[in-house]
Order: sequence, then C-alpha cells, then structure tokens
Amino acid sequence: MPIIEANGLSKTYRVYQKQEGLFGALVGLFSREYKDVVAVDNVSFTIEPGEIVGFLGPNGAGKTTTLKMLAGLIYPTSGSATVLGHVPWEREDAFRRRFSLVMGQKNQLWWDLPAADSFQLHREIYSLPSDQFDATLSELTELFGVKDLTSQPVRELSLGERMKMELIAALLHQPQLLLLDEPTIGLDVIAQVTIQKCLRDYNAARGVTVLLTSHYMRDVEALCKRVLVITHGKLVYDGSLAGIVDRFGNEKLVKLQFDGDDSPADVATFGEVTSREGPIVELKVDRARVPEVLAAILQRYTVADISINEPPLDRMIAKVFEQGTV
Amino acid sequence: MLLRYVNLWFSLAKFSLLGELAFRGNFLIKIFVELLWLGILLLFNYTIFQQTTSIADWNAQQYFFFIGCYFAMGGLIEMLFLDNCNQFADLVRSGDLDFFLLRPIDEQFLVSCKHVDWSCAPNILLGAVIMSLALWQIGWTFDTIQVGIFLVLFASGAALAYGFLLILMSASVWLMRNQSLFEMWWLFTTLMRYPSEIFKGPWAQPTGWFFFFVIPIMLVTNVPARVMVRPLLEPWLACYAIAAAIVVVAASRYIFRAALQHYRSASS
Repeated sequence: MPIIEANGLSKTYRVYQKQEGLFGALVGLFSREYKDVVAVDNVSFTIEPGEIVGFLGPNGAGKTTTLKMLAGLIYPTSGSATVLGHVPWEREDAFRRRFSLVMGQKNQLWWDLPAADSFQLHREIYSLPSDQFDATLSELTELFGVKDLTSQPVRELSLGERMKMELIAALLHQPQLLLLDEPTIGLDVIAQVTIQKCLRDYNAARGVTVLLTSHYMRDVEALCKRVLVITHGKLVYDGSLAGIVDRFGNEKLVKLQFDGDDSPADVATFGEVTSREGPIVELKVDRARVPEVLAAILQRYTVADISINEPPLDRMIAKVFEQGTV
Repeated sequence: MLLRYVNLWFSLAKFSLLGELAFRGNFLIKIFVELLWLGILLLFNYTIFQQTTSIADWNAQQYFFFIGCYFAMGGLIEMLFLDNCNQFADLVRSGDLDFFLLRPIDEQFLVSCKHVDWSCAPNILLGAVIMSLALWQIGWTFDTIQVGIFLVLFASGAALAYGFLLILMSASVWLMRNQSLFEMWWLFTTLMRYPSEIFKGPWAQPTGWFFFFVIPIMLVTNVPARVMVRPLLEPWLACYAIAAAIVVVAASRYIFRAALQHYRSASS
C-alpha cells in the first residue's frame, strides 16, 4: 500500500491585486480586485514505503504547497489524498504521530533554550516512553554527530548544527514519513554532505519514506533515485533521475586541451563554446555527433587531453523547468 | 487524556520559566512595572475615596476588593493567555503556525497555552492580598460556600475572558494584521475595571447594559467580586455568568476551528 497517494490535488489561492500608488491604495479601501492563482494543478502521484523521492521545481512551482497539503496544513481546492492511510487535512492525532515536516527556512526549536529542552517537550507532546525516547535520542545524536551540543542554547548553534537538531527533533517520534522542504538551504558543502549521509543512513536503517524538495541538485543526486518535477503547478515528470538525463542529456560536454598556449580560432565551428581559457576549451556537442566532431578535431589539431562529460544535472533540470515538459 | 494535557501544561510552564530566567533583567523589570501599575491604581482610588465615601454604592472596602479581584483576574489572563493570543497574528503571517498544527495535540491548547508569562504571576498573589485585606477591613467571617461560589465565578470570568481573547485572536487568520481588532481587548479590560453600577445616565446605562448582557465582558470581574462583598447577589446572575462563559468558550472554539480551515500558511 502506498505511503502517499495524491489524486488530482489542486490548490487555488484568491490573491488581492493591489493597485500602484496612493490613489490605488485608497481605491483598494472601497473596491478590491482579486485574481485566482493556481498554485497546484491536478497533481497525482504515489510514493511507496521506504522510497526517497525528490520533488523538484523552480520557485513558486507548487512544491511547498503540495507538501503542506500532504502534511494537512492547508486544504486543497479539489482532489484527494491519503497519507499513511489518513486524509491529511483531517489532522487526526494518529496521523500526526506518524510523520514529520522539516522546513529548512524555519526554526521549530525553542530559540533561547538548549535543544535538549525542546526534545523533552517533544517527548511530552508525542507521549513517548522515557526508555524509547532516551534510546532514540542517543542514536540520533550519535548519527548526526551532535552529542555534545544538545545542552547549548539553540541561538548559539551554527546553521548546520541547528538543522541537525531540527532533524533530530523531527525523527524523535520515529516517523514513517519525512517531508523535507529544502533541508540544506544556506548550509556549506560539508554540512550538506553530512546531512545527506545521515538521511541516507537513517533511511537504510529505519526504512523511513522521504519526500524531499531541494534546489541543490547535489542533495537530489545523493539521495533520490526517483524525482517528481513540477512547474506552474503541474506535475511534468515522474520517474527516475536517470530518465531525465536520458531524455535531456542529448548533448555532451567535450573538454579539450590543445597543444601550445592557445586554442584554435575556428574551434567554434565544431560546437557551442561554453568556456575558453588559454589552450583549454569546453564545447557543447550533440551526443550523436561526438565521434564525428572528435575525429575532425584530432585530424586537424594536436590535442594533449580530452574528456567527455554529461552536462551538470542542474542545467538539465533547468531545461525541464523552462520547457515545462519532459 | 486530561492528565496528559495537565502534564504538558506543566512542562510548557517549566520551559517558559526557564526561557524567562535566561533574561533575568527583563523578567525583574516586568515584575517591577506590574507592581508600579498596581501601586498607581491603588493610590488613584485611595485619593478618590478621600473625597467621597462611595462610588456607585460601593464603599471603599468593597471597591478595593473589586480592584483586587480585577488585578488578580488580569494577572491570571496575562500570565496564561494574553501573550500567546497576541503572538498568534505573527504566527499566521510568518507561517510559523504550521509547526503547531503538525503536533498530535489539540491546536487550540497548544497555541493559546504554549507560553506562560511568569512575570505576571505576582499580580495574582497581590490581587489576592488586596482582596484579603479588604475583607478583613469589612469584618468578613469565613464562609466556605461563599468562597466556593466565588472561585467558581472567578473561573467562569477567566473562561469568559479567554473566550473573547480567542475570538479576537482567530480573526488574525482572515485579517493577517490584527492589531486594530486586538485593541478591542484593551477596551474590554477597561470595562472589566469598574463596577457595572457606575454606568448611569441616558448614554452610559445602555452601554453598560450592552457590555453586561450582549457582549458580557463586564461579568468577568463584576460577578465574582459581588458575590463576596455585596450582600444581595441575585442567583440568576451567577447562573447567567456561568452560562455566558460556557457559550462564549464554545463559540470561540467553533470560530477558532473555522479560522484554521481558512489558514493559508505563508510561502516559504
């Protein structure tokens, strides 16, 4: 049975259209114009137990709105969903005990108190037995490497340490589903990698299902085999990450280092030059034409080094966002 | 179930105290300001009673009991609910309300009881001291039933005030910025500060009647204070105060839940 089952979920917001200037503001006191903004449009998908699924889309695409409907925070305009067998927006306690939502841009721990106090309060709210709570807390602080930091006031922790504490708080009641909204936003690369590793290990150990939104493709590449892509509120892709590469990777990046101090002037005739620095040139070439182009270059010039790579994933995803379809 | 909520409230109260003690200076200043406020209130009324023997049929001792009752009630409301209700609009506007809705616990309880403002706790004690002194001056003899009725009516008054606060707070979901409507609370506290009998005359009497029966905010302190120091309390008035508290609390819960259905959550 799927952990998440969304059928035709839609959310439309009625948004006040403020007119410009003082006159517009005065007019707005008496007569207001509203516009319907479709944040999520007929989105359907299922997620099976234990999956880690990336939820991708540009800003304002509808990712967070979908996540909030699945968490039961907002009501959909139409459509239906079941999460862990419950209708999320009915917000039954039995449902809320079984999942967690972490938002990278928001803090849910008590700011002026040590994280340990927030964890204790969490224990009370979720009615966790003391022995279970102690064991889970010990396991999580070990996993995230923050055992010595739990008695420090939250406001004195670094952003990365704070996010680890947020994740620990979210996992204390051993949820079956973890909804993560940009959990690594603003973190340095080391903190990002640590959190990715912790999430991967936790998923492997506990089989928790994860739905993750992130603008960092490194998170997605590190964690998700499957991705959902949403643009303008519509789900435009549901499949493997490799599938996007197959479909959008119709170009290759060919990096050449020519002999001498400079690259040939006519190198642009072989493909689109994406970078050029002294004798090193990177060309974007159609996948099918790569052998032909390389043969032509090697015939004409002496080349010291060659490498052929896929374009970066974020560039491919950006293409999906721009085109709105896969 | 009830025990779980009681335990949780004590935990919230404990962590609130820990949080406040982390900023000791602010905590002590707040207590000092509250003491100053009480001192001025007492001095002001003492000065008035130097010029007259009664205000709207309340003699000085009765009136000081009323002030003690008002002060204790205000302290209780401020300590338990006011700060939480004041912050609600910010929670809605910032989207931080999300985290309260995710917890497997009654949202109204968590939102309206999450923080206990311990710096207002001395107000309850001081109110009780003033009430005790006023009773001693009156020559009151201890009556268990009378005290029992007073405590029930005091609790009803607190519930009534909580209900009104919750209704004002819930409007934040629709209005987003809710300071203007929340100003109404300060009007309400002004009305709670005086005995209803002072509303006399062609304009004042209907106003007093309106805030006694239609929006019954004046019941909050008037009824419990009367039962202790005014000889004749009509039984229907006590029943009416309890019934009003039940109706307003039930209505406020209904409105709060309706408000949550319209919660849009802020964009992240």
